[in-house]
Amino acid sequence: MSIRKNLFVALLSALLLVGLAASAATYIAARNEANELFDYQLRQMALSLRDQTLQSQNEIFPEFDYDFIVQVWDSAGTRVYLSDQNIALPQSGLGFDTVPVNGEDWRTFTMSNGVKVIQVAQPMGLRRDRAAAIALRILAPLLASIPLFALLIWLLVGRGLRPLADIARALGTRAPSSLEPLSEEGLPGEIQPMVAQLNGLLDRLAEAIETQKQFTADAAHELRSPLTALQLQVQLVERARSTEDRHDALEQLKTGIRRASRLVEQLLTMARLDPAVVQARSIIELDELAASVAADFETLAAAKRVGLRLGRIGPARVDGVPQALRTLLGNLVDNAIRYTPEGGKVTLDAYAEDGRAIFSVTDAGPGIPIEERQRVFDRFYRLPGSDPQGSGLGLAIVRRIAESHRAEIELGEGEAGRGLRVIVRFPAS
Amino acid sequence: MRLLLVEDDSMIGVSIRKGLRDEGYTVDWVQDGRAAEVAIETEPYALVLLDLGLPHKDGLAVLASLRARHRRVPVLVITARDAVPDRIKGLDLGADDYLVKPFDLDELAARIRAVLRRHEGRAEPLLAFGGLILDPATHSLKQRGRDVPVSAREFALLAALLERPGTTLSRAQLEERLYGWGEEVASNSIEVHVHNLRKKLGEGAIRTVRGVGYSIAHEDEASA
Repeated sequence: MSIRKNLFVALLSALLLVGLAASAATYIAARNEANELFDYQLRQMALSLRDQTLQSQNEIFPEFDYDFIVQVWDSAGTRVYLSDQNIALPQSGLGFDTVPVNGEDWRTFTMSNGVKVIQVAQPMGLRRDRAAAIALRILAPLLASIPLFALLIWLLVGRGLRPLADIARALGTRAPSSLEPLSEEGLPGEIQPMVAQLNGLLDRLAEAIETQKQFTADAAHELRSPLTALQLQVQLVERARSTEDRHDALEQLKTGIRRASRLVEQLLTMARLDPAVVQARSIIELDELAASVAADFETLAAAKRVGLRLGRIGPARVDGVPQALRTLLGNLVDNAIRYTPEGGKVTLDAYAEDGRAIFSVTDAGPGIPIEERQRVFDRFYRLPGSDPQGSGLGLAIVRRIAESHRAEIELGEGEAGRGLRVIVRFPAS
Repeated sequence: MRLLLVEDDSMIGVSIRKGLRDEGYTVDWVQDGRAAEVAIETEPYALVLLDLGLPHKDGLAVLASLRARHRRVPVLVITARDAVPDRIKGLDLGADDYLVKPFDLDELAARIRAVLRRHEGRAEPLLAFGGLILDPATHSLKQRGRDVPVSAREFALLAALLERPGTTLSRAQLEERLYGWGEEVASNSIEVHVHNLRKKLGEGAIRTVRGVGYSIAHEDEASA
């Protein structure tokens, strides 16, 4: 499919159609004119014959144009003259008439001078031919210029579509990684909106790629410390001289590997939370999810001798991505257990209030000072004195998931003003 | 040699401290910038290992204020910031060397020795004086070509005295150089080490300057 071809064919067809109509109209007009002219001629001829007949009794008729047939009848109705012996037309009424003879139409003009009746006749076919000749003469130059028109249409349409070709070329010659916007200057009004939208798309793409790059750079940077620790720890294993030393060094190494693995997992989770990826949503019972997550963390809590329990639980519904919400709840509970000392308590609440589903985790740890509460959600940010095994991504992931569910996060104190309480409020459904 | 390690990552800190202690260094370890500044002001360190990404005060800020106060202690920066502008910035702010994570423990030790060497104005890697030759890379001691086995503390004491041969260091100064925080120092530890060294090297190897401290004896004195 080609706009140029389509336009060309359409315009040419229109031109031909119009040309055809014009030709027909011109022909009809010409024929009408010819008819009037010939009728006039017939009458004039008849009149001149009548006069002649009156003036001279010799019945000498001048040479007639072989196109015309002249017949004369006397007052008794007897034909007294016939110019062409081969063709005899019946006497028609006075005035103009059209009579078919031998399959051909003849135009007749009949008049009487009181003594004789004169009839002049002419074949109609003659008139049609003359009309056609006139029409052709008028239309010929126009028709001859149709090929010129066709060429002009082809060229002009091509020229009109050139901005599109220019844009294609501009896009084709730029560097493969270039996401610079196209120039919108001097563009025709029809193409300008398209280019504006294209530029918007390039802009969004560039932004997305930039975010990705930044994340990758951050992630690589963050991996350095855990990897450094691993390298050092391995060297200490190599240098260990006694079994006990080696055992200690290997334990250190194992801890280091666990930390690095956890960081990598968090990074993967973070990468999968790309907002551009649309994930399947469904209605989730938040209270059931909370209970399920609590069960997941039973073992960890028990190992640390931290009491994990459900607090205020009631029916609460959220429209969201099940796996992401599980990660959100899980990360908060994980943090809570990590920072709560032995013997402390971690409480999970999941309930609905004013039509909004609410989830909260309360711990008995050191809490987060008010001035740090804004920054803790930043990627890779770690509070001074925080768990060295942390990745710094836990809360960043929580925030990302909350954002994609349009939920609000609030940080506050736990029981008796100590510890930390994280409250997640989902929007009213 | 007493070093200050400034590193906020626990695992890295533990590993470096263990690794350097095995090399015979005394290592004090802090985990944030402010604590580092306090430590540098109060204790004499032979060298500071400085991580840059620190809580409370960034490593470069610590370095800058250090140099602004004309503290000449050598600083070896260890960091994950590997971009060239970062390296240039660190060196221009007054670092003596810049090592990027992850690094090899052996390389770290070698660079420490190099920085210390330059700081002491020595071109040769070996510490030599009075017929004694100390090799910091191998912790070996030779007296007139003969290998003399010494403990880490003994080696460190000799190395301290040989920093500026002929200078006298008091007992307190030697204690500061040899023992870090949390290490028990018996009041006569230094005396015991000096005594043991004299047994191995000869009485005249180390000179007692009454009321002041100890120093390495000159060559002719040592052989006496």
